[in-house]
Amino acid sequence: MPKHPNDRLQGTLDLLILTTLARGGPQHGYAIAQRIHHVTDEALRIEEGSLYPALQRMTGSKWLRAHWGTTDTGRKARFYALTPQGWQQLEDEERQWAFLTQAVNKALRFA
Amino acid sequence: MSPLTRLWNLVRRRRLDEDLRQEMETHLALIEDEGRVRGLNALQARQNARTRFGGPLVYREQAFDAVTLTWLVDAWKDVTLAARRLMRSPTFSVAALLTLALAIGANAAIFAVVRRVLLNPLPYPESDRLIELDHGAQGLRMASGIAMSPGLFFHYQDRARTLLGTAIYQTDEQTLTGEAQPERVRVSHVTTNLASVLRVWPAQGRWFSDAEGLPGARPVAVLSHGLWVRRYGADPNIVGRPLTLNGVPADVIGVMPASFAFPDARVEVLVPELLTRAMGFGTFNHYSVARLRDRLTLADARAELNSLIADLPRVYPSYPLTIGYNLQLTSTAISLKEAKIGAVARTLWILLASVGSVLLIACANVATLFLVRADARQREVAVRHALGAGDAGIARCFLAESTVLCLAGGLLGLLCARVAVRALVAFGPANLPRLEEIRLDGTVLMLTVVVSLVSALAFGAIPLWRRGRLAASLHESGRSHTTSRSRQRVRQVLVASQIALALVLVVSAGFLGRSFQKLRAIDPGFNPTRALTFRLGLPDREYSTRRSVVATHHAILERLAALPGVTATSASTCLPLAEEGWCYGSPLRVHGRPLPKNELPPTVAFRAVAGGYVEAMGMRLLRGHGIDRSAVERSEPIAVINQALADAYFAHEEPLGTHVSIGLDTWLTIVGIVANTPFRALGEATGTPMLYMPMSVAGGPDMPASVLAGPDVGVMSYMVRSAISPRVLLPAARRVIDSPDAKLPMAQVRPLADILDRASAQLAFTMALIAMAASLALLLGAIGMYGAMSYVVSQRTREIGVRLALGADSARVAYMVLRQGSVVAIAGMVVGLGVALAGSRVLESLLHGVSSRDPGVFMATTLALLGVALLASWLPARRASRVDPLVALRSE
Repeated sequence: MPKHPNDRLQGTLDLLILTTLARGGPQHGYAIAQRIHHVTDEALRIEEGSLYPALQRMTGSKWLRAHWGTTDTGRKARFYALTPQGWQQLEDEERQWAFLTQAVNKALRFA
Repeated sequence: MSPLTRLWNLVRRRRLDEDLRQEMETHLALIEDEGRVRGLNALQARQNARTRFGGPLVYREQAFDAVTLTWLVDAWKDVTLAARRLMRSPTFSVAALLTLALAIGANAAIFAVVRRVLLNPLPYPESDRLIELDHGAQGLRMASGIAMSPGLFFHYQDRARTLLGTAIYQTDEQTLTGEAQPERVRVSHVTTNLASVLRVWPAQGRWFSDAEGLPGARPVAVLSHGLWVRRYGADPNIVGRPLTLNGVPADVIGVMPASFAFPDARVEVLVPELLTRAMGFGTFNHYSVARLRDRLTLADARAELNSLIADLPRVYPSYPLTIGYNLQLTSTAISLKEAKIGAVARTLWILLASVGSVLLIACANVATLFLVRADARQREVAVRHALGAGDAGIARCFLAESTVLCLAGGLLGLLCARVAVRALVAFGPANLPRLEEIRLDGTVLMLTVVVSLVSALAFGAIPLWRRGRLAASLHESGRSHTTSRSRQRVRQVLVASQIALALVLVVSAGFLGRSFQKLRAIDPGFNPTRALTFRLGLPDREYSTRRSVVATHHAILERLAALPGVTATSASTCLPLAEEGWCYGSPLRVHGRPLPKNELPPTVAFRAVAGGYVEAMGMRLLRGHGIDRSAVERSEPIAVINQALADAYFAHEEPLGTHVSIGLDTWLTIVGIVANTPFRALGEATGTPMLYMPMSVAGGPDMPASVLAGPDVGVMSYMVRSAISPRVLLPAARRVIDSPDAKLPMAQVRPLADILDRASAQLAFTMALIAMAASLALLLGAIGMYGAMSYVVSQRTREIGVRLALGADSARVAYMVLRQGSVVAIAGMVVGLGVALAGSRVLESLLHGVSSRDPGVFMATTLALLGVALLASWLPARRASRVDPLVALRSE
């Protein structure tokens, strides 16, 4: 299988999507991208080319559940929500992220 | 994500993709909305959205890849592309496909047979420990095959320490009545320990108890699975149901498992053999099976049994054979497997080798095709390379092609094999054990897949071979050029080896065909045309005396003779070529000649006959006269002997008028001598002594066996000769038999000619299969030759054009091509002849009346193959000679 171009960032991307859905409830792809864009003060922009494969993969892994619904503007869209496994995954990834950032911070401080 | 989920996603690919498409459309629309909110017009908003979003198709693919089995998708892509490429060159593909299918199919079918029949012929636990206790008797001039007597059975059972158990059995035919139509079934009388020796017990009900093997026990029977299904509709409550065998009621106590076929698949009922030690030594009328103790060999068993045989006179002092004659009994125990399939094994291995050769030829053929194709595609490959295709990519492309081709060939081959196996089961000789169980099972499937994949790898590798040259081929001018010398040599070697293998097969087929021809040309000593035969048994209960039996036979014969179209009728206890063999065999006593001291005279086969048998059978009367109807009715003690008996007993005396006897008091006067008829098989090396006697003086139900009066006339084989076809005659004959007694079953109903056909059936079967393999080999070899030479001509068209333009005459050009073809063919044939000469000895055991060195066969088959090879290269040669120089030169 060819390596996916954003494999390295995948963990971060997953964490961002999970957090977004945990905080904001069920949302569609566009909303997820927008929200990440806004809450990071426009520092992070999720490429659609990374977003959709990630959503597919996470749905396939049963972290997310997808269902069709309508947006406020009346458009048909697919909404993603966290499953219990998704919550579990979020917890794990948050812990890992905290561990990683602490470690990097320490390294930066004492290097 | 589990591979299973990924696979599932692959299946619902369309659904997933549609969802994604819609989802992304919404996304785009939302970006557009956002743009409009920021004050862009519709067109700008859309353009902006498109630019920001990028390529939805690529995302869809990436999203799809994230959740499915990418490698499977890639492989599928390779396969469909390869299939499309193959479809574009249909001649190549169809030729390769058919070649592979036929060869793989033939191999799968024969392997299925070999696997079942040779590799695992006995469906019993630890069957390699099972042996058959046969004996030889130098005193009877019989090296082996005299089998066992009940006395020996007890002797061994009590004393043999090398054996875990010994069982004996004999098989006969009995009339099965009760409920459905009466019918003749084969019944094996077995000692009650047979199940524990074989280690197989009934699938339903129980096996015989020891008490049921003693005289006076309540009659019981165990059915074969086949009979249970066929006659009793697989009744689950079969145990306890009554049946009647030869008029004696018995209870069904069990049904054997479906795989059980002992002594052979034709036996449908097992009953206990009633034996006691008090019966004495008995005669050698039983077969036996024994189980060797662990870690002991056949030689150990033989040694012990021989020492036990030496002890026989002490144990059976009254047995005449142990005192009167020096029987020189020896144990010739052999493994049960050898006993059951020894004769067939060699045939099957030869067949497997034959189809294996066909597979090799097919592979050589397909390899040639691939080689030609690879040459033709050299430039295509170079272009691919130049455009950036990697080595792996190009290899994958070729391997995909050969894999598609070989797997398709394998699949088609399995279909061929299915048909072939059905035909084998339907037409196979009856002495193949487990024939009816042969099917294409998992192992055969595995073998087919492996063979297909290995050939796929091999053929796929051909174009990759010497790839170093590929890059160079772009530099060469656009003109076609003749291929390199080494490639040409490879092709020539491939063609020559096809010819060599084909020759070996054609020679084998030639030998078998010649044998068959010789076998069919043998004079059987009787007239087999237009005669119906069947076997009729009169149950002892209703027909309890010899007088009543003979009267009934006479009554039936009389009515049969009165049927329209019937020209002659008669009956005998055994017909020539009978499966039963001896039917009744014993040494003969000649009046006034003292019993020889140290050796037994040759055994004579006895036949009790109705009047006019010699004439009705169309046997050649050499001297004297036959036994007519009135002589039978008057119970005249006369006999007709055959030439073999006259030679064996009356080498220096006049046989006519001599008195001879089987037993103690009935003396028969020899009144005629007839030509020999085959005993068990056509083309027997020596004739078997035979004696024909009136049925009215032979054995019958009221004659005690100790009187030795001759064969029991209760069961006779009828022969009805007619002007009309035997099959047309049959219904009328059936009505005739029904009229005195509707309970009498007709068995072995067949035209006399069938008996003759069956005698050569096994050779015919082997010959047909090898002939098929040989024709396939010949065809493939010819195609290979033709293909190779055609290719040479097409490659050399320009050169030939130049030659012709410079004045070479067309005959010379044709000769040039033909010569090239013949050199290859002759080289192949020289090798093939060498192999055939060295290997023809393997065939010897299958041959009849023809030496395995017969120069005629070698000559004829070699010339035939040479003819085919020349024809196959002559066609391209002719095409070469008709090349128009102008067209050839201009075409570039």
